[in-house]
Amino acid sequence: MDVPLFVLLIPLAGILAAVYLVVAMLRRRS
Amino acid sequence: MDAEALVHDYLGRLEAAAGSLPPSRRAELTGEVRQHIEMALAEAGGRDEVTVRNVLDRLGPPDEIVDAERGAEGPPPAWAAAQPAAPALPSGWGGTEIAAILLLTLGAVFLPIIGPLLGLIFVWASVRWTKRQKAVATGIVVILAILPIILLLGVRAGGVVTSGQL
Repeated sequence: MDVPLFVLLIPLAGILAAVYLVVAMLRRRS
Repeated sequence: MDAEALVHDYLGRLEAAAGSLPPSRRAELTGEVRQHIEMALAEAGGRDEVTVRNVLDRLGPPDEIVDAERGAEGPPPAWAAAQPAAPALPSGWGGTEIAAILLLTLGAVFLPIIGPLLGLIFVWASVRWTKRQKAVATGIVVILAILPIILLLGVRAGGVVTSGQL
């Protein structure tokens, strides 16, 4: 049970951080 | 407040926020931002209050601009002189930013733990994000990825103690 949670959370964290940074960059460019 | 007063107020706040920068750099930054506002207003085709507010909102808070400028102090000005066609403010995607995003997304899937950590190193190496944005991105990764691992280890350790006591 612990392993799937662990495996899911790391990509989710990375993707959320990446989305935040992309939005921040696009807002700055426009 | 009319449109001109809004721009004046914004530039005033920018100058105040840029108080810690050297005077020449502060004047240069204010001039660039003023030019940027004028260009955006010319593109928008109007100078009414709503248009000006939109343009200023898109620029972001003066503090963030100054933070970005402070973060970009490292690269030599010769970089801009060598590429006259390049925009004055650093914007757009460079190799560091693309590597950071790829490592945070694909890297997190294919290289768990190492991928996001390398991604964060690239994020902090970039000059195109403000310190606050870098800190928020780091917070997201730490809270979502590392905290649950610590909690899980804590729960497991607690479970071991409990079963040992029985």
